[in-house]
Amino acid sequence: MDKNTLWSLRLGYSAKQAKTIEKIGLKKFLEQSFATKFDSKIPDFLEDSPKSIKELQKAKKALMSENPEAKKELLKKEIQTSAEMRAWWIDKMNQDEFPLREKMTCFWHNHYVSTFQKVKVNYWVFQHNQILRENAFGNYKTLTKKIIQSNAMVRYLDNVDNRKGKLNENLSRELLELFTLGIGNYSEDDIKNGAKGLAGLGVGEENAVYRRIFEDNDNFVYLGKKGNFKIDEMIDIIFEQPNIPYLITRKILKWFIYDNPKEELVRYYGDYFKKMNFEIQPLLTKIFTEEFAKNNAGSKIKNPLEYALQLMNELNIENPNEKLIARFLKDQGMDLFNQPNVKGWDGGNSWLTSQVFLQRNNIADLLCNGKNLTRAKKINNDNSMMSDDLMTRQNPNLQLKVKLDWNKEGNNKEIIGELKNRLLFQTDEADQQDFEKILKYDFDSKSEGSDNAVLRLFNFMVKTPEFQLI
Amino acid sequence: MDRRKFLTLTGTFTGGSLLLPDFLYSFGSQKNLIVGEQCIVFVQLNGGNDGLNTFIPFEDALYYDVRPKIALSKTEVLNSAKGMAFHPALKGFASMQQSGDLSVIQNVGYPNPVRSHFRSQEIWQTAPTHQEYLSDGWLGRYLDLQCKEHQPTAGINIDTIDNLALKGEEPNSITVKDPDRFKTKSKAENDGQLSKNPQLDFVRKVANSVVEGSDDIQKALAKSAPSDVVYPKTGLAKNLEWISKLIKGNLNSKVYYTSLGGFDTHDNQLSIHKNKLTELNDAVFSFYEDLKKSQQLQNVTIVVFSEFGRRVKDNGRGTDHGTAAPMFVIGGNNRGKIIGNNPNLSDLDNGDLKHEIDFRSVYASILKNKLDFDFTKIGIQNKALEGLF
Repeated sequence: MDKNTLWSLRLGYSAKQAKTIEKIGLKKFLEQSFATKFDSKIPDFLEDSPKSIKELQKAKKALMSENPEAKKELLKKEIQTSAEMRAWWIDKMNQDEFPLREKMTCFWHNHYVSTFQKVKVNYWVFQHNQILRENAFGNYKTLTKKIIQSNAMVRYLDNVDNRKGKLNENLSRELLELFTLGIGNYSEDDIKNGAKGLAGLGVGEENAVYRRIFEDNDNFVYLGKKGNFKIDEMIDIIFEQPNIPYLITRKILKWFIYDNPKEELVRYYGDYFKKMNFEIQPLLTKIFTEEFAKNNAGSKIKNPLEYALQLMNELNIENPNEKLIARFLKDQGMDLFNQPNVKGWDGGNSWLTSQVFLQRNNIADLLCNGKNLTRAKKINNDNSMMSDDLMTRQNPNLQLKVKLDWNKEGNNKEIIGELKNRLLFQTDEADQQDFEKILKYDFDSKSEGSDNAVLRLFNFMVKTPEFQLI
Repeated sequence: MDRRKFLTLTGTFTGGSLLLPDFLYSFGSQKNLIVGEQCIVFVQLNGGNDGLNTFIPFEDALYYDVRPKIALSKTEVLNSAKGMAFHPALKGFASMQQSGDLSVIQNVGYPNPVRSHFRSQEIWQTAPTHQEYLSDGWLGRYLDLQCKEHQPTAGINIDTIDNLALKGEEPNSITVKDPDRFKTKSKAENDGQLSKNPQLDFVRKVANSVVEGSDDIQKALAKSAPSDVVYPKTGLAKNLEWISKLIKGNLNSKVYYTSLGGFDTHDNQLSIHKNKLTELNDAVFSFYEDLKKSQQLQNVTIVVFSEFGRRVKDNGRGTDHGTAAPMFVIGGNNRGKIIGNNPNLSDLDNGDLKHEIDFRSVYASILKNKLDFDFTKIGIQNKALEGLF
């Protein structure tokens, strides 16, 4: 596989940026990615969605007084808004000239998990997402402070119920276990005591605020220090711990490059991260430029986003239906704004079960046949998973125009080489023989039906195990 | 196949589905209960099989004139009828013909023949009317109309790559890369050769573990009675033996497709062709005997064909790409005739045989007579070939 294509996929979602990386070089590409402005506009679909606590209470009151039908209606509307938000985000990922910001936002999204299902307020989920977007390349410590004090987070991890005398340890635990230090670097007492520091931190107008009556102002010991700490000070203490850089560095390596990063690499980049005062930008620059020089293609299983957007891009599908993509992601175990639990998607091998693999191949067949993804039923556990709904059945609304880019001047081997370079991180003799069975030596690239034949080759290639890896 | 719906419909016609007797309803809702379903097994000879040295006009003096180096002598060929004879390697074919189970269709091809492997195979597999480019195969189109619900095992293709002939709107067929993988599940897991990349090994393992419809296949294999026939140890024989197990296990696939490569005999034809035809003969004959012994032969139609024949005149030790060639149809209660005239070696088109029977009329006959299907629905406009079944 061409290296620029590989890194276009790793730093984004498709081969779209390969040419740019080749032209301006990785370093410039990263600089320009870091320099991108983030879109601070509140999307239209959130216009009617309740935002302030007052608006929420008003909506709630309206709910109480009206009939149950109206209540259902309102709930339905919020679910629709949530679907709009997924589509809005997928569109950003797909359309951005430099998609690294969105890729990093998605990384943080899966790190500081706060799901719509539990938070229930679309605007708070949006705010949470915007904090990640704005701080995608910022400072890890600053980001941690901001995100813990988002309305979405305090509700998601039940800190709204954490009060003096009636402590709830959920947020305190995940702050140490999942968001920062990782298991083994703190004690159970730290969690209990941390809950005291977090007591009273609940939802506010724009972000989470302490409510005086629920605060616990006794002194406590936190990671060896004693005092009456509040959230910002607690995070300062966490970031003084020696093992703070490694958990996040490991996760970054996993998200972008290796399903199983070597521990020495984690230490190496982690130590640098600490030296840079947890500035994310220099860390990413160092990781990407040093790893770019290595021969490490095929070390990560594509996540469903990378899989779907790459296919759509290769097939030059204009205006893909993002809602259908979102549903596909859900079936593939990557429901945006809705991870199964606070740990987020595990990634790596867990992306691929046999059913998921089968569904990926079926989707590849559908798209290559010029049909859009349709509503996919829940995946059954038996082998007969392929749901009928997934098949489009001659519905004209679901027809897609697909067109593959390939060199019309080439002979069979050149065309095979071109596609291999774009799609497969490696191939062997047997693969090559199969490819040449599909495009034989006397294949005429100028003939009228040659597009069909090359599309068949493409279809075959994207169903190989090698296509699953970058 | 949508047998269940068919039964429901029948019930409706005879007075409403509510009146359908219980036993018949459960009959219809069980997939593999009916024995005696028709299926077709295609054996595609890749590379362009030399028809003239397969089914030989050995009484035609011209044959020896145009092929001084590679003609097969009168004394070695296996006499058939009408002045034709089989290649000496095709003993089983000759014997099947004597038993009345093999038909030969002579000079099969299509107008404006294309001598490119790539395009000619595409034409055979898509069966277009005027050589227009079609993205779906003829069997794929048939299965689309035949299968009301997506049914992954309606067609079975044994190959490393998907088969254009079976490609349709819906994935009603599966490609099985290696029948051995279906031996037992635990064995298959140990089979994969490890690469140096653990992630790749993982994906390969997942990929090997899932072939859609593999459960149905496993069930059929488990149900299938063991065979009395010992198959040769060749790739084609292995594939056909496996197909016979699926048929005997009532998998209910309509179409099986497998192929044998190596027929592109530009050079050193005599020995290569002999080897290839031996492999073909031994594999097909074992399959035939197996089906006969298990009383399945009347339900299974075997079709042997190639994308084109070869040039009438030899090029020294081999032959170049040509046009029309014989097709062989075995079993399925065919009439066991030789259909069509002997190849006319004195009336050629640029050195190639002129086709007399269109391959699409053979397809039409198979669809009509064996699968009870109106072939015009998939765009075949030729008349069905008479005298085959």
